Amino acid sequence: MKHKALSTEIKLLAVLAGLMVALSLLSPRFLTIDNLTNVVWSVCLIGILSSGAIYPRITGGIDLSLGSMAALTGIIVDRFMNHMGLHWIPAILLTILIGALIGLFNGFIVAKIKVPAFVVTMAAKTYLYGIALVVSQGAMMAILKPRPFLEIGTGRLLGLPNPIYLMAVLVAVSQFVLRKTAFGRKVMAVGANETAAQLSGVDPDRIRIVSYTISGATSAIGGVVLASLTQQVFAAAASGIELDVMTALVIGGTSPVGGRGSVAGALLGAIMVAFIINGLNLMNIPAPYHPIVTGTVILMALLLNEGQFKGKFGRAAA
Amino acid sequence: MDVQSRGMQGEARSREILLSCKGIVKSYNGPIVLDHVDFSVYRGEVHSLVGENGAGKSTLIKIITGATNRNEGDIIFDGKPIPLEFSRRDAQAAGIACIYQELSLIPGMTVAQNIFLGKEPLMRGVRIIDKKAMNRMAQDLIDRYQFPLKATTIIDDLSIAHRQLAEILKALSDKASLMIMDEPTSSLTRTEVEMLFKIIHMLRDQNISVLYVSHRMEEVYHLSDRVTVLRDGKLVDVLERDRISPAEIIRLMIGHKLEEKAVHHRLVPKNGPVVLEVRNITSLGKFEDISFDLHEGEILGIGGLVGAGRTELVRALYGIDPIDAGTVRYLGKPYVPSVQKAIASGIGFIPEERRRQGILPTQTIRTNIAITNLDVIAPRHVTSRKREQELAMDGIKVCNVKPADPLHLVGNLSGGNQQKVVLAKWLVRNLRLLFIDEPTVGIDIGAKEEIYEHIQRLAASGVSIILVSSDLPELTRLSDRVLVLRKGRIIKEFKDCVLTGEKILRAASGITEEVEDEA
Amino acid sequence: MSSHVKRRLVLGGLMLVIIIVLTLINPVFLTMGNIQKMLQEAAQTGIVAIGFTLVMITAGIDMSIGAIIAITSMVSINFLTYTKLPVFAFVPVTLLVGVFAGLFNGFFITRFKLPEFIVTLATKGILSGLALVIAVKDSMGFVQNVYIQNDSYLWFGSQTFGGIYRTTIAFLLLGIATQFFLKNTKTGNNIYATGANPGAARLTGIDTDRVVVGVYMFSGLTASISAIFISSRMMTAMPELGLGSEMDVIASVVIGGTSFSGGYGDIWGTMMGAVFLALIKNGILKLGISPWVQPIVIGGLIVVTVIIDVWQKKLGEAIRTRARLRKIGPTAKAA
Repeated sequence: MKHKALSTEIKLLAVLAGLMVALSLLSPRFLTIDNLTNVVWSVCLIGILSSGAIYPRITGGIDLSLGSMAALTGIIVDRFMNHMGLHWIPAILLTILIGALIGLFNGFIVAKIKVPAFVVTMAAKTYLYGIALVVSQGAMMAILKPRPFLEIGTGRLLGLPNPIYLMAVLVAVSQFVLRKTAFGRKVMAVGANETAAQLSGVDPDRIRIVSYTISGATSAIGGVVLASLTQQVFAAAASGIELDVMTALVIGGTSPVGGRGSVAGALLGAIMVAFIINGLNLMNIPAPYHPIVTGTVILMALLLNEGQFKGKFGRAAA
Repeated sequence: MDVQSRGMQGEARSREILLSCKGIVKSYNGPIVLDHVDFSVYRGEVHSLVGENGAGKSTLIKIITGATNRNEGDIIFDGKPIPLEFSRRDAQAAGIACIYQELSLIPGMTVAQNIFLGKEPLMRGVRIIDKKAMNRMAQDLIDRYQFPLKATTIIDDLSIAHRQLAEILKALSDKASLMIMDEPTSSLTRTEVEMLFKIIHMLRDQNISVLYVSHRMEEVYHLSDRVTVLRDGKLVDVLERDRISPAEIIRLMIGHKLEEKAVHHRLVPKNGPVVLEVRNITSLGKFEDISFDLHEGEILGIGGLVGAGRTELVRALYGIDPIDAGTVRYLGKPYVPSVQKAIASGIGFIPEERRRQGILPTQTIRTNIAITNLDVIAPRHVTSRKREQELAMDGIKVCNVKPADPLHLVGNLSGGNQQKVVLAKWLVRNLRLLFIDEPTVGIDIGAKEEIYEHIQRLAASGVSIILVSSDLPELTRLSDRVLVLRKGRIIKEFKDCVLTGEKILRAASGITEEVEDEA
Repeated sequence: MSSHVKRRLVLGGLMLVIIIVLTLINPVFLTMGNIQKMLQEAAQTGIVAIGFTLVMITAGIDMSIGAIIAITSMVSINFLTYTKLPVFAFVPVTLLVGVFAGLFNGFFITRFKLPEFIVTLATKGILSGLALVIAVKDSMGFVQNVYIQNDSYLWFGSQTFGGIYRTTIAFLLLGIATQFFLKNTKTGNNIYATGANPGAARLTGIDTDRVVVGVYMFSGLTASISAIFISSRMMTAMPELGLGSEMDVIASVVIGGTSFSGGYGDIWGTMMGAVFLALIKNGILKLGISPWVQPIVIGGLIVVTVIIDVWQKKLGEAIRTRARLRKIGPTAKAA
């Protein structure tokens, strides 16, 4: 498996390099600091969300609520700081806690009541959007203070935007947890064969619940970063980002039926998605068109991944 | 069982041959499963097919029903030759019906809808189903055979036995002339079994042949007009009505391999300290009032027929399913089984159906071995690559897994090597007690021998083992003591004696008198 | 049988209670005009939900319906703006677009055995982007809000004699026809069989792949039918039209008793579900509650309904096994 994951990642790097060359040839604006900073921001957001969303995905489930969750938590953190007068640090911590709790709730319904994950999280996506509307009174609100909060998204350290460090840390931690801890092993085992995992002493329900909790927490972190970066919050702030995250995961080699996945791969997937989107922007193709490309990329990636396993044990683990 | 219903009381049956198989050969890439087997079924008889596990019964059934194709041999059904390439659909069309164990009904639909699925009666001129006619036709069919069913009942509201009846009806409506029933009674209650038997007699009276496959000798004895016995992929004998007796069938099934140590085994008691003490445990509907002691280094075999409660017993003791009553003591202390606790305290479990329950197919040998050893590899949650690699290499070496590459995906290994990986993930631990359920199903001879050696070496090193197996030579060869379960209870214990597969099978079949004829 | 009769009774009773309460609080509720509007709302969602029900009976899911609505209405707008073709000539073409989208979904799902969910999510992305690509734009490249003035096109969304909207009538007719089709034709039976037990269905000679492709095509068709009615009623269409409507549709189908695991459910239930949902949404409006609460209610309804369904099923199974154990118990003892 290690061999395979590695080769997937190397292949991805090669494709990425090709993509970069193509983009820089296509547009002189591509290799400018400003443009690359833009790419980095969108990589950061997708990367942060993917680092948690990969867990439910590997257990064979899915978390589709992350876009609404990010928007809602952005609104909440603004409420905490600018309406309730909380200091920005406890405000962020509380917000992440709320995200984790919502994830816990999703996970509980998926694991214990055995409702299909996409139903639960899609419904969550809907009602969280509603809650976000209610809390924000349907308005788009600018965040102008506190300064340190805005620094999270817009500041720079050693010349690089702050979110890069945050994302790097989260991706590294996530990759570490997935590859190097007992919990990560259990997540993979549950996705690969739940019965066998259970007989080997893994409690699949618990693993599932924790997975969705993690995804909830990273969505909240993503929401905070997004709010700080754009300096504004509204209910539809991150709508549709779940498609980008799923694309990143699929490109990164996370199996559509669970059991396999790599955060490093997902990061490369995120970079790829960001480059593609950036390329479209450079060619002056407006944002609403982008799903045509992401959708096609998902289908193509699925077909390629499926081909790898076809006839061996493609859907055996499902 | 109702004695008067036995057989057909000497009434002369037609000798018209419905199904005739000649020289059937089948091999699955290498080992020959069926070796020039001749087999025939008369029209309107109940014919039983018996044999030990691996004797080739299920392969023969699969060939007849088109689930797999034979390599050689001729089959003539109802006067027409059956081609080598033959699908389940073709078999159905020809009039061969199989009452599958995994029921092939559509839940949510009525009995009538199920019977007529794919051949619904249409109203004249339009492509609309004539429901009235359909229900009436179904009810007519039901009434003709006097089944206790209603055409308009939804399948979900029926018991398993009644669902089986609906399947039989479906086959009848297809004008099936041969009905194959593979262990149809394994999940039925006593009254349900009697109902099924009445139906089988009725089918025979309608000149429909029934091919009955069962491990339950008393059923074979009560029902059959003739019995075909297979052993090791070869035809042993065809018994006519007057020669059928449970003891005779068992004798033929086991054969005269008495000189072989595999089937003829002297049980030597092991009297080490008691590791596991089980007292009167019961799990409702699965097993009842089970008590035994397990000693250190002892291999305790559990025999019995499919559905006798063997797998359920080891699953409960390992902590997967709950125990409703009774007590268990492990290493002298009271013990309530749970999987996590079991693993932590030196208990292991090798499940049946390794593909579905044993392996993580999309992961490497190393990760598969690691998953039960996370306490060793990751004592403080973080895994140590070094220790993981050591364990994997250790397991691969001990169990001789091929290829000896810890990064190989387990899903791509052969069945024997997959089972070795499952074994290895426990062997690298400090075990006290290991539950093993059907360890060698679908495994080639070489790998089988290796697995046997491991089990014996393990026991010699002091690990206690509970071995569930339907493979009688395996059970007699490995066990130090054997408990035979029947209908959820211990019906016989073999210890300190000479054990043969025949004795186990007799006990499992409920034949209680002792066999005298061997030493 | 009885369980879904019970469900309908409960649903009906709930609707009655809501109607009474709403009328007491706000008498405007029980006026002809409001009820007509409400039923039209129900019909717009319901028409799509009818196709969606078939998909769910085969144990599938179609996330692309909203995007199909968007793209079909954009195709219509193009015909209206750039051609002089009569409505009866281009509407079939428009419907074909939806059918083709369904074919695309079905093809990927059956041919490559990909998860329905991700395939239709990808299709959703592609189609919603394409809707924007083909949207009518002004010289600056901005999407133009085309005001539909073609009377024959507006015919669809307008009222008929008796004051009932044609949309509602279409919903009723389509519902009745589909229900009849599901319950009284071979294909209908095949759809149920494919969802409940695909292995057995194949053994009976049913081409399950064809059935699956067929239901996705039908789902695409109903989405595009709905698109025509919605754009006609609104007298305009935007490329965002219908996006996000899949949640309303899923809620209707789930409330109506069709299960995600396939094999169960029917159109009556879905139609009731659609009316129930419209009633709730209308009630929220009439009570003066912020419309922002709507998504909370819809999402909540889906979760609650699914949880109740799962629990009910578990309870039923538990009762059945208990009864069975009691039957087996004495036999085991006797042995």
